[in-house]
Amino acid sequence: MTGATVWLACGVLREELTRLRRDGRIAGELVFLDSLLHMNPPLLESTLNDELLRRRAGGDRLVLVYGDCCAGMLDLARNFGAGRVKAINCAQLLLGRERYRELMREEAFLVLPEWAERWEEVMASALGPDPAAARALLTEHRAVLVYLDTGLVPVPARQMEAFSAYSGLPWRVEVIGLETALAGLLEAEARGGEQA
Amino acid sequence: MSSRGAQCDCEELYRQLLDAMMNADRARAAEIIDSALSGGIPPARVITDILDPAIVRLGAMWEGESISLAQNFIASKIAEDALLRCLPERKEPHGPKGVAVIGNIEDDFHSLGRRTVGLFLGTAGWQVVDLGNDVPAEQFLEKALEVKASVIGVSAMMQTTALNIKKLRDLIDREGQKDRIKLAVGGAVFNWRPELVAEVGGDGTTRNAVGADHLFTRLQKLALASGHVS
Repeated sequence: MTGATVWLACGVLREELTRLRRDGRIAGELVFLDSLLHMNPPLLESTLNDELLRRRAGGDRLVLVYGDCCAGMLDLARNFGAGRVKAINCAQLLLGRERYRELMREEAFLVLPEWAERWEEVMASALGPDPAAARALLTEHRAVLVYLDTGLVPVPARQMEAFSAYSGLPWRVEVIGLETALAGLLEAEARGGEQA
Repeated sequence: MSSRGAQCDCEELYRQLLDAMMNADRARAAEIIDSALSGGIPPARVITDILDPAIVRLGAMWEGESISLAQNFIASKIAEDALLRCLPERKEPHGPKGVAVIGNIEDDFHSLGRRTVGLFLGTAGWQVVDLGNDVPAEQFLEKALEVKASVIGVSAMMQTTALNIKKLRDLIDREGQKDRIKLAVGGAVFNWRPELVAEVGGDGTTRNAVGADHLFTRLQKLALASGHVS
């Protein structure tokens, strides 16, 4: 048993968590799973279960950096004594609960940096190959695309322009730091598996 | 599944609808429903024999990991379209059946199921007060008391947000309204995890919007039977 913290995280937060560790603000090992697993929650759940099973044998302190991304996420945390960030998704972890709430009321479609690079791949699998149908579905309940700029990579303006054209939604940038996410990560690590 | 009628090959229509949903073909799904309705199949039967089996089958495929979240989302949208096409005429010949307060619990922003339930309740004769997404427990109870609703319907998509419903359960009990106001709960997570209904303190649930009127009517009767509703 090493007693080290293993951060089991969605790949959508790879840049952010890597930076925090490099700056010495979190310690331990970072393990990332493909962010596209989010599109198939049962597969995400079984993958996480396998990974947690493997990691538990090593005796490390486990922290799940996942929102409520599959039906059994809370059970995974409980069953493996893992900590888990208190957020319903990665965007809420980055933004904090109140700002996330405000953006949802604005009917914002939130775009994370890693996701922005893959928007075509995600949208094609999510909304089908017909752009008109995709646009109709997106604009039905969303009013604006909001790119969450964590400051670690240049704003992917070309991709956002293309996504805006595809979706029919305007877009803007919301500059956010990593402090809110850091607080959530450290709180989850400190809390451990007691109240996952 | 039986077609239960010479004029309706409901099983074939169900298969076609399921195929359209799986392929995210919104227009084709609309065509199937419209042709069934224009062919004289009653809307209630289109729902029970064509649409509902497709929804149930999709749910099974979802639980069996054979469709993705995205496909499920699109299929849900198509199901909502189809339900809207099948809505019967409003029944309010003698005033509303009752008042129903509905909303998504605090931190939950998945409105599709709630809106569909509201539509079905409305057309079944209920006066529906829809509080929208991300509704705190206090607002639910305050509104229910204000409009004299005996049923509050709370929706949640995922487990963490569903657990917020406990706050409403506790508030209702603490304020002495347990007999007077019944708590209906629903949302995808309750279909995956039926035990969650009891865990959050729900008085009942329904797998989908088709069963909402029956559920709310049953719960209202329970509240009326307690003698606290005027």
